[in-house]
Amino acid sequence: MRVRKGLIVLFLLPASLLYFFFFLLPAIQALQYSFYEWSGFGEEKTFVGFANYAEIFQDKLFWLSFRNTMFILLVGGVVVFTVAFLMTIALNSGIKGKKLFRSLIFLPNIIATIALTTLWAYIYNPTFGLIKNIAEALGLEKLSNFIWTAPDKVFWSVLVAIIWIQVGYYLVLLMAGVDKIPKEFYEAAEIEGANQIQKFFIVTVPLIWDVLSIAIVLYSIGALKIFEFPYAFYGQSVPSQLYTIGIYLYIMGFGKRYPIYRLGYATAIGVMLLLSVVIIFVILRTLLKRDVLEY
Amino acid sequence: MGIDIKDNKMNINDPNNNQEKITRRSARIGKLLKWLKHIPSYLFVGFWSLFTVFVFGWIALSSLKANRAVFKEAWKLPTELHFENFVKAWSVVNLGDYFMNSVIVVFASVFFILLVSAPAAYILSRVKFKGNNLISTIFTAGMGIPFPLLFIPLFVIMANLKLSDSLVGLTIVYVSLSIPFTIFILTGFFGSLPSELEESAIIDGCTDYQVFFRIMLPLASPGLITAAIFNFIGLWNEYQLALIFINTDKNRTISLGLYALQNAMQYTGDWVGLFAGIVIIIVPTIILYIFLSEKMIAGITMGAAK
Repeated sequence: MRVRKGLIVLFLLPASLLYFFFFLLPAIQALQYSFYEWSGFGEEKTFVGFANYAEIFQDKLFWLSFRNTMFILLVGGVVVFTVAFLMTIALNSGIKGKKLFRSLIFLPNIIATIALTTLWAYIYNPTFGLIKNIAEALGLEKLSNFIWTAPDKVFWSVLVAIIWIQVGYYLVLLMAGVDKIPKEFYEAAEIEGANQIQKFFIVTVPLIWDVLSIAIVLYSIGALKIFEFPYAFYGQSVPSQLYTIGIYLYIMGFGKRYPIYRLGYATAIGVMLLLSVVIIFVILRTLLKRDVLEY
Repeated sequence: MGIDIKDNKMNINDPNNNQEKITRRSARIGKLLKWLKHIPSYLFVGFWSLFTVFVFGWIALSSLKANRAVFKEAWKLPTELHFENFVKAWSVVNLGDYFMNSVIVVFASVFFILLVSAPAAYILSRVKFKGNNLISTIFTAGMGIPFPLLFIPLFVIMANLKLSDSLVGLTIVYVSLSIPFTIFILTGFFGSLPSELEESAIIDGCTDYQVFFRIMLPLASPGLITAAIFNFIGLWNEYQLALIFINTDKNRTISLGLYALQNAMQYTGDWVGLFAGIVIIIVPTIILYIFLSEKMIAGITMGAAK
């Protein structure tokens, strides 16, 4: 509709100013800071060119963080989407209480991460945790003696918890896509003699492709940014097995227990994180691009 | 399942009683088969849901036990209710103060987020002007920028404005960083409203300003409510930005308070206090969820499945 120019400016200005000064500007400044050696908020900055980036490529801890993040993206992603799809099929098979199940499976998504980490720290606790209790009650000695938080297992234990949280979110998205598919498509497939699995690949997947692509992009960007759960799971001394790119950045910049204060270096890690988001986004868009079926 | 109900009804008047029995039996078998077929589905989603209910229920029950009972009598229901766990968490370790800090920051943030985002979303979704696409794209791009990138530069900005380690500063950060997502949700809502209403309002002599406040804003209220719920839950649970921008104890939000409690646990061993803390932090969002879960689920799917 037609609107006076003054109103356009008036309505856009507050959001634009806040967005510019507290979001875009720091993002742009991050690019600048990443070229400096800078050892504390009160200290002078020294221009070092690409030295921070050169160091990142040699930094074993950065690559460990990167690998962990990629595991959350790839392994976590495959499991989350497989489980969410199986649940979609189960909930749409005509069982009762579909909405109730969906609400309960989604529930962890509305709970504070810090409450979830505390909860899982208790579930995994090796001396009196929930799993230990259950295993003892059932007489499963091997399970009750399993140390979930041992250095070589803690990453996977945390990933299990992350999957438990994420499944509900992607279940909701996928179900919304599936609910839009007209029933006639499934009836036609049934008449042709398709079984559940065939119906899924021939009817469901192609018809929810747009929803599925958005869901995959959302999950991937979320996985790259992940910070809160692995960081809070351990309290202040996060072991390197749980480092993600975001956590490593935080430790380099703020690391409260052992102050490191490498602000330029930490910001360069942030730029690498942004680059990863952009690259993954471009890759996914290319891979997922298909003609959307209209129906 | 191959059972013809019509046939069944006709059989009621049939003198041949046997026929009726057989039909009824096969109907029962059919029902049973249908139920059997669903067993794997029930087991799968049932087990997953049960686990979730079980862990939260366990925490809630344990928060009323004594510490000794958590370790020694893990499977027993609490024999006496130790409400003092909550009193202690609320006042001794100051979760009550942190709770109030969160209430102030979150309500203020949600209010200002909507105040600045709704008019912007209205203009971007309904008014044609030069640069609309560019501005929309710039706002959308914000959803892809990972927050850790902003940690250090934004900290410097806030420190220079003397707004670091303050609830006002945290509110400004929350509002600014929530704008892209909120504008994204609201443009969807404003965009779906019929344009005849605007036109007839103009003919009736409304100014463009009145069209927004009297016509479009009330019509978009379901969208505003959805955006408010999402921002409320997101910010109530928020933790990484608070970790960066809040330093002193008195300015902690509830998430930071619980985090401190969890860290202290290594020395105190006070698990029941921690469980009480968990219950305190999750009650507000659980209450919202009980009443609004369908609306929230619809809101999530709106963006992806139009």
